[in-house]
Amino acid sequence: MSEQNDAGIDVEEYEDVWVFVEEHAGEVMPVSWELLAEGKKLTEKTGENLVALVIGEDLENVAEEALERGADRVLVADDPVFEPYRADPYGAQFRAMVEERKPSIVLIGGTHTGRDFAGRVAVPTHAGLTADVTEIDVDDDGLLQARRPAFGGDILATILCEEHRPQMATIRPGVFEPGESDPDADDGRTADDEAIIPVDVVVDEADTISEVLEREVGDTADITEAERIVAVGAGVEGDLGPAIELAEALDAELAASRAAVDEGWVDGSRQVGQTGKTVRPELYVALGISGAIQHIEGMNKSGTVIAVNTDPNAPIFEHADYGIVGDFADVCPELAATLADRDLTEVVQ
Amino acid sequence: MTWTIVVGVKQVPDAAEVGIDPDTGRLDRANAPAVMNPPDRDALEAALSIKDEVDARIVAMTMGPPMATPVLEEAIAMGCDDAVLITDRAFAGSDTWPTSLTLAKAAEKLGADIVLAGEETTDSSTGQVPPGIAAHNGWAQLTYVEAIEPRPEENRLVATRDVEGGYERVAADLPVVVAVAYGEFEPRPAGLHRKIYAENDFEPIEWTAEDLGIEDEVGLDVSPTSVGGMETVQPVERKGEVVEEIGDLADPITEVLS
Ligand SMILES: Cc1cc2nc3c(=O)[nH]c(=O)nc-3n(C[C@H](O)[C@H](O)[C@H](O)COP(=O)(O)OP(=O)(O)OC[C@H]3O[C@@H](n4cnc5c(N)ncnc54)[C@H](O)[C@@H]3O)c2cc1C
Repeated sequence: MSEQNDAGIDVEEYEDVWVFVEEHAGEVMPVSWELLAEGKKLTEKTGENLVALVIGEDLENVAEEALERGADRVLVADDPVFEPYRADPYGAQFRAMVEERKPSIVLIGGTHTGRDFAGRVAVPTHAGLTADVTEIDVDDDGLLQARRPAFGGDILATILCEEHRPQMATIRPGVFEPGESDPDADDGRTADDEAIIPVDVVVDEADTISEVLEREVGDTADITEAERIVAVGAGVEGDLGPAIELAEALDAELAASRAAVDEGWVDGSRQVGQTGKTVRPELYVALGISGAIQHIEGMNKSGTVIAVNTDPNAPIFEHADYGIVGDFADVCPELAATLADRDLTEVVQ
Repeated sequence: MTWTIVVGVKQVPDAAEVGIDPDTGRLDRANAPAVMNPPDRDALEAALSIKDEVDARIVAMTMGPPMATPVLEEAIAMGCDDAVLITDRAFAGSDTWPTSLTLAKAAEKLGADIVLAGEETTDSSTGQVPPGIAAHNGWAQLTYVEAIEPRPEENRLVATRDVEGGYERVAADLPVVVAVAYGEFEPRPAGLHRKIYAENDFEPIEWTAEDLGIEDEVGLDVSPTSVGGMETVQPVERKGEVVEEIGDLADPITEVLS
């Protein structure tokens, strides 16, 4: 007997937590493993299965790794139509899987890819979609509590989806810890309890409405794991030398504000902020960054924040523990030399 | 053939003018003036740049209260040919699902070949409305777009998209929804004559939910998501010490690292 609610949906029919494992040509985006670890915490509360979804071509290794990282099952849509990524085939395939198997919760990384196709699943299934989530939990009834910053991070809003299913969320990269991979995690399954499940591919190349003509991707940096970060902004005007010198003295990763990324000085995978990564190093040095709210949102979990800026009124000083009014090109070498004098290399090791 | 380009624009509180309340240390939005969502200016510029190359008519659309009309006037001043205000009390409480339905229906009614929008709004920052429009209409979509090459002879649009760690060029069949990456299209200034026309003589077309045939499909009731609560986040306490000497900076750094 189905118990339909006002929206015409029987929420009891929907179960399991799904995590989308984003891969491009075999390379998995780190946020996928962060979500799998977080999804596990949800299923430990709900007693449901944790299901990983992999879409692409030649996915055996990715599917295996998903099991080793804690998925109970992996659904695999393997076909050349899915490589490289395009919104329309991904959306159509994911939607078909959701309609057939009815998951209760679907977690997708808030990457360009995840934010690109999530709506193509949520719109036709009339699912609730919460974007850019930074905290998730589930209550006793399996209702997802998706929290996201609102008004520039001043407020954390809890978004609920009571009457519709699935409850979908895109989740910001870097906010959760990825779990460890355990090679024995999939032991003990019998042959008829096959954990890797190939699904029917519903997409035909002839029906696609877009075509990838060219794709160039270099190495993507993972600044979310860095213990120390030196970040540059528009104020460095493309002169990265002094910043790199300081980063080397501190054994730190280089990161950037969006303005510096847009100028092409630093790769987008190193962008900190609302539309970039969330970082939490013990030391964050901001060089020539004004301190716009969209930037602060990505770095306010840092331990000690140091700001270098020529403008004494730059908002970054209010978000820093220690600041100095000055030109980064003068401050960096002097600071690096001072630190070298104190033989910090020994301390760092 | 003349392309119809529809540009979605939204009125938001001016983030740059949001002050910090001296008593609570929190952002004070109440007194911020309303402006056009900055990424939408880039979308307008992208539309105008397509029109520089291809025979096109540009229509700006906004869903909002009549108070939002100034953003349409601004779009007209920048060079849009026409503008639509989609306004109705029935829209109150809409989340991204009915919002993108509304804009999808309006784009369809306008006969859009291309829908352009900013990558996200500064007030709600979901980035979900442009893909939602495409999904409602079953159209192609291109997000995080940094450059556009119109291909009228192929009835397609080619765009360069930012992908993490690189870029890609994608061709999409028309109609297509394009969300442009913020900061990639330098908006052109409005001409004085257009400004005078926009502010004095121009009247936007007005549509209600009923005009779009969706009066039962919008608003709070059909929105799948709802706000369950709001918590104020304690601003991160920072020392805020401005020092004079490099040595005074090196001290705390040494302390952190040891
Ligand atoms: C939808 C949306 C999403 C966004 N997402 C992000 C995001 O994820 N991350 C992000 O960072 N931003 C984001 N932004 C952009 C954000 O609003 C700011 O525009 C951006 O952070 C500014 O970067 P900046 O501080 O490097 O540059 P600016 O604001 O131009 O600041 C440069 C600073 O450098 C200082 N300076 C100049 N010369 C020197 C010198 N020689 N030495 C030292 N200091 C100097 C100046 O005084 C100034 O304070 C977003 C904006 C929007 C609308």
